Amino acid sequence: MNSTIKMKNQKSLNLLLILDILAILAWGGLLFKYWLTGTLRLLIHPNYFGLVFITSILLLILGAIKTAQFISDKNESKKTENVGHITLFPPGIGSILLLITAILGFIIAPGVLTSQTALQRGMSASLPEVRSHPEAFYLSVKSSERSLIDWVRTLNAYPEPTAYKGQKVKVSGFVVHLPQLDDNYLMITRFILTCCAVDAYPVGLPVKLETSRENYPPDTWLKIEGRAIVEVLSSEDDIDKRQFVIAAKSIEKIPTPKDPYGY
Amino acid sequence: MINQLHNAFTLFLSLLVEAIPFLLLGVLLSSTLLSFVNERGLINKIPKNPILGASLGSFIGFLFPVCECGNVPVARRLLMQGVPTSVAISFLLAAPTINPIVIWSTWVAFRDQPEIVILRVIFSLFIAIFIGCIFSLQKDPRSLLQPALAKRLAIINAYKKETQQSQLIIQKTERTPVLLQSGNNILGQPSNSIRLENNIRITPIPSISSNLNSKPKTLRPFIENVVAELRELGGMLILGSAMAASIQTFVPREIILSLGQGIISSIIAMMLLAGVVSICSTVDSFFALSFASTFTTSSLLGFLVFGPTIDIKALGLLLSIFKPRIILYIFALVTQLTFILTLGYSLFF
Repeated sequence: MNSTIKMKNQKSLNLLLILDILAILAWGGLLFKYWLTGTLRLLIHPNYFGLVFITSILLLILGAIKTAQFISDKNESKKTENVGHITLFPPGIGSILLLITAILGFIIAPGVLTSQTALQRGMSASLPEVRSHPEAFYLSVKSSERSLIDWVRTLNAYPEPTAYKGQKVKVSGFVVHLPQLDDNYLMITRFILTCCAVDAYPVGLPVKLETSRENYPPDTWLKIEGRAIVEVLSSEDDIDKRQFVIAAKSIEKIPTPKDPYGY
Repeated sequence: MINQLHNAFTLFLSLLVEAIPFLLLGVLLSSTLLSFVNERGLINKIPKNPILGASLGSFIGFLFPVCECGNVPVARRLLMQGVPTSVAISFLLAAPTINPIVIWSTWVAFRDQPEIVILRVIFSLFIAIFIGCIFSLQKDPRSLLQPALAKRLAIINAYKKETQQSQLIIQKTERTPVLLQSGNNILGQPSNSIRLENNIRITPIPSISSNLNSKPKTLRPFIENVVAELRELGGMLILGSAMAASIQTFVPREIILSLGQGIISSIIAMMLLAGVVSICSTVDSFFALSFASTFTTSSLLGFLVFGPTIDIKALGLLLSIFKPRIILYIFALVTQLTFILTLGYSLFF
């Protein structure tokens, strides 16, 4: 009788150990996969890619050590239970949560943040604030070589729209339809990451089209060429402000880029 | 809807991927240092002055970079070894915030707002030292502790004075059953409370012997501890991240904004959230980050200062040391101080 209970305990203990090992290996594998395939770009700022890589290796090593211990323990039929630690979860729940999440991570690829998120996080046609300010800023970059984010930074540094009137603009980003703008305006938008996708914030510039914006549904990625003009757009706070607008000459649909975010 | 779900899942993953390296780092360091730091030597150096003692207690966190679940066992060991209650309480309140990993991860999350990083440290230190000083007025720790623990402390004191006699008493108490009074109510799950009881019974006594003749431990307990903490904190992290991602995706922006832009409502909301979300302090700044664009700076500070000290998980753990009444005092003090400090910040800056 006593020995069957012991056997049962040993069995459930083994199951918990296996869950631990699987959870650790799965997370090591998932992080390594993200690092290898470049998926990390959709999730976090490149500064921390190295950190994720090291973590994945450490987790895989930890999993390997645990596996080795598990196998050698099985042969010697000795077990150790950790005692110095307080747990609030019933045993196994923590590892099951970790394991399930990792498996989901393997199955479902993370997506690119969409126009819906941009609206949710607050976008307006008036000039967006750029949170990170570069220490040195050169306006000497040719206007047609500025990316969308360069443009927004430039405008932040020197907001007077007339200064840019007539300059060539060539930017790419995705489409956001702002409800407060007329039908022939869309926002060409990018997200900027400072830490991870959670704090990504949208920056965008208004684009004046010759047709209705319905031809360019939200989330379509576009490469837009045109010239800078100055217009007065109706803004949320009802203060009519002269504003930097791109008058589009050519619009080309492009596939979602591999690195959709700016930093 | 599917789109929204996918969005939430992406945010959830992004939180996890950013946080897990810090979690692992914290767990590795705490497991390493727990085996190497000489607690005895540390205790002998604690100054008598209450303010100095409490300050020292707050900075012990630099030696034990553990978040709120790791620091309770450490605090209990410190208490058992005769550390004044004020120092132990300061340690409990400060250690989850005042340690290199937490400061680093806060910095990573709030690079753009360095004031959050600095004020998180200052406010947490202030609260920990202040409350430590208040408790230093109570000289006899036994009236604060859970009866079982108080009894053990008495025994250990006796053990120190009369080594020969004490061995008999310890044998005696080993026979008397130890009950953890409130554990069942808080945790609600019999299997958990049993674990807590086990811990109470097991940890203090071996700690005397293990620290008297402390020798370097082998790899196995180190790995065991790493895995146990990773499992526990990882589970919490997943629940917390899921919650943050869902709030960010599914709660309409107007509601969040109306709550998050009010000076007082935002602080209260974030403190409440901190109490409910028992996310580990090494990674809670990433959680707070998801509210950075919609909530006031002072409310984010409220979350970051309050969360590591008081949350549902911490309450459960604290019950393994203190009487419920004492936890209530600590809770009330921390709540008020956090509120006043963050409100002060929002009014004056």
